[in-house]
Amino acid sequence: MSLRSPVITGRGIICAAGGNLREVWESTRAGQTGLGPLTLFSSVRYASHLVGQVRQDVDRLCGRLRGSRSDKLAWIAAREAVQSAGLSSSLDPVQPERAGVLLGSTVGGMLGTEQFLIRLLREQRRRFGLLRFHECAGAADLCSRQLGARGPCATVSTACSAGAMAIAAAAELIEAGEADLMLAGGSDSLCRLTLNGFGSLLLLDPGGCRPFDARRAGISLGEGAAMLILEAEETARARGAKILARLTGWGASCDAWHATAPHPEGRGAFAAMQQALQRAAVQASEIGFVSAHGTGTPDNDVMEVKALRRLFGGRLPPVASVKGFFGHTLAASGPIQAVLCVQALQEQSIPPNLGFEQVDSRLGLEPVREFRAHPVSHVLSNSFGFGGNNVALVFSRVSAGPSEKPSNGAVENSSDEPDTTVPTTSALHRSSTPPPQALLAVLGAGVISAAGATLAEVFAAFRHGGATLSFFDAPAALTPGRARVYACGEFGADQFIDPGKRRKLNRLQQMALVTARQSLPAAALASASRERICLALGTGLGSLNDTAAFVENLVLKDERAPRPLFFANSVHNSLASQVAIEINLAGLNSTPVQREICFETALWQGANELVGGRAEFALVGAADELNQYAMAAGLRWGWWDEQTPELRPFARLGEQQPRSADIPAARSTRRPLPGEGCTLFSLARADRALPSQPLAWVSGVRIGRFATTAGGQVDADVEAQWVQATLARAGVSLTQLDLLLTGANGWPPLDGAYADVAAALSRLAGRQIPCGAYKHCCGEHHSASAFGFLAAIGLVRGEILPSLCCPLGSDSTPPDRPCRMVVLYTLSLGGAKGLCCVRA
Amino acid sequence: METLMDELKTKIIATLSLERVKPADIKADDALFGTGLGLDSIDALELVAMLEQEYDILIEERGVADKAFASVRALADFVSTNRPQCP
Repeated sequence: MSLRSPVITGRGIICAAGGNLREVWESTRAGQTGLGPLTLFSSVRYASHLVGQVRQDVDRLCGRLRGSRSDKLAWIAAREAVQSAGLSSSLDPVQPERAGVLLGSTVGGMLGTEQFLIRLLREQRRRFGLLRFHECAGAADLCSRQLGARGPCATVSTACSAGAMAIAAAAELIEAGEADLMLAGGSDSLCRLTLNGFGSLLLLDPGGCRPFDARRAGISLGEGAAMLILEAEETARARGAKILARLTGWGASCDAWHATAPHPEGRGAFAAMQQALQRAAVQASEIGFVSAHGTGTPDNDVMEVKALRRLFGGRLPPVASVKGFFGHTLAASGPIQAVLCVQALQEQSIPPNLGFEQVDSRLGLEPVREFRAHPVSHVLSNSFGFGGNNVALVFSRVSAGPSEKPSNGAVENSSDEPDTTVPTTSALHRSSTPPPQALLAVLGAGVISAAGATLAEVFAAFRHGGATLSFFDAPAALTPGRARVYACGEFGADQFIDPGKRRKLNRLQQMALVTARQSLPAAALASASRERICLALGTGLGSLNDTAAFVENLVLKDERAPRPLFFANSVHNSLASQVAIEINLAGLNSTPVQREICFETALWQGANELVGGRAEFALVGAADELNQYAMAAGLRWGWWDEQTPELRPFARLGEQQPRSADIPAARSTRRPLPGEGCTLFSLARADRALPSQPLAWVSGVRIGRFATTAGGQVDADVEAQWVQATLARAGVSLTQLDLLLTGANGWPPLDGAYADVAAALSRLAGRQIPCGAYKHCCGEHHSASAFGFLAAIGLVRGEILPSLCCPLGSDSTPPDRPCRMVVLYTLSLGGAKGLCCVRA
Repeated sequence: METLMDELKTKIIATLSLERVKPADIKADDALFGTGLGLDSIDALELVAMLEQEYDILIEERGVADKAFASVRALADFVSTNRPQCP
């Protein structure tokens, strides 16, 4: 076990079975279910269904804190976790930059969004404020702000495994040395979308879920949140923290099978569990308890038992699904199980599988019937999500002897990795020598944007001064007048997607599939086995049009005839899972959703899989689509108003407004114009034989949260130092930096912040570092920085000149000099930031 | 019953966006699922929604759906048996 192995020093939980750990654990001991009637909102169809609704007054518990219900549940659990770790709310003595937050979320602020649509469609009232906390990324932003954490901040949205995925990703960040402490977990509130969505899939059991029971009929939907404080063992010991348990292993896989049904034999589930055991260096026979996913659906339980039998060979350890106590809490379910597993290890007792009465002869499984004392050193916890996103976690008792673990070095150190499959076919040839410290090679790219659907078209658009804008006519009831937007045109779906397949894919999914095929070289696909290609496809808002259509129907038709296809497509990871199904990718499959840095998060995850030797190739990218509601809200309301509390860092109190990048904006308000698009890249390690000449080289990938001054503004000097330090870590000197490519979008406060950072960098470097932008070619959307990465590639390849990137912050445009090294730097309005370095 | 079967074929094609399939291509007694139409479990549930929307028939259990969608003829029987009668 390395000194960076993650240990658990704190935990918090809130769900239908209790408002904190003591209450929830007592419920499991007493066999007392928290399932009960739905009172959070009214339902025509599901009024009599038992659900796992949190009964505490969530708003009152959060005081004046503002956010969605999911955000507040997250904070309540986070607060308990931080306190139980013996930390103050400022996480002292952990340094802010060494503390991060990584959460899972599927619902986000959908409850408020539903209320917006209800007001709009039934009462013709435009309450845009109800959309304010829609984002899944909101909980991570909120918790980070409350804790002053400025390390990595991200959210993943892989359906029912999102929270477990977040815990695994947080562990990766700690082992890679990106953080010493991570708040890791997940939260989801009840909402009409998920209730009706699961109902449309005929997956609900009105009388309460019965995991593994012969008469099981489906899930009970629940809500809640759970959080762990994960720390590197060395820093936990250094501050004298009490270590509650170890997170010794984790594994993630993708079924690549179907949007909602699990692989019948559980091949992905098995792979995830096996990976987790291997990583923990724990034998199956050492597992004392399995915290099953056990949703109570006919399909999941069959599949899970098959996978468990395959893993454990002859004899299963005690197995229990705890969902009978609080329902299926979606993104919170993995973390809730994790918290209970830690408690089980501490108390040497295991919780029961509430709801089970009768053995199903087809499963032959009798789970734990009653809470009981049981010696347990290692536990396995499963979370299997829609789209075949499988995550398994292994927790171990503190006193369990250290096993020999292969060390996983920091992302920048690639020398010690176990040798992986070495490509030997003649199709592979050594590429030109990569520059020193280049970590990754970009092998291919696919793009669909307002600027074009090929690299050539995109670069030509830069040369022509920007992409052509389209007009968007939203309904007058929503927003008056025509809006100019950066819409994508045709993109050759016919050429890349079989018509039989196309009929079930929405436009955004088709874009993802087309760009995936374009970016992954055939030679790569042929040379690597399916488990060794990973996919991280970020999105800010997902398939918003299908989501909106599903909720519109609920509202307009009083829950009549809901379309299950819209629900299945509205899950954020439906993009990544459809790509995995089509191209048959079974490695890590992640959907980061941290707003404007969802691409940088995807890039980090893909890079980490490559460096860790778990993948040969990584497909990384991001995709977002135009949607009339998001557009109307953005153009009309306070999302782009520096008086909004979250946007204060960009305000320039009393000072003159800085010159903004020369990017088209909404005429009177100077708000950025919305865009859409999908950009994907295939990456490989730079130190391996590559199947083709790379487009460019990448290093210095890092995510975090930007620093603010005492006055609350973006602290340009601290940010510049962070950029410098990140580059230095990657062996790159500031003197080599030719251009800072930013997410400037024509909104003066944001553009000004970027210009300030570039100016501070210039002071540090002792020479002028130009600051550029790319959103005049793709518009404003959460996936735009993936397009920016392509622009960076264009710059270092000489396809785009710096003067074509809307230089800002300086009155005299420096002469175009060749760009050999470009840093892509993105600030999220939610407070996060991302960076990477692209080189020729 | 023939008219109902024709009507159902048209609605199946429309609901599931089976662009290259014509009603004549779907035989009355062929299995709807597990055949060349390439339909999966979500398609079945989309048809459940169609039945509610078009015929006011509510299916709440997978088992009922499986039987009803065995073939177009089976579906027609199911619809004519279960659709609410006009008062």
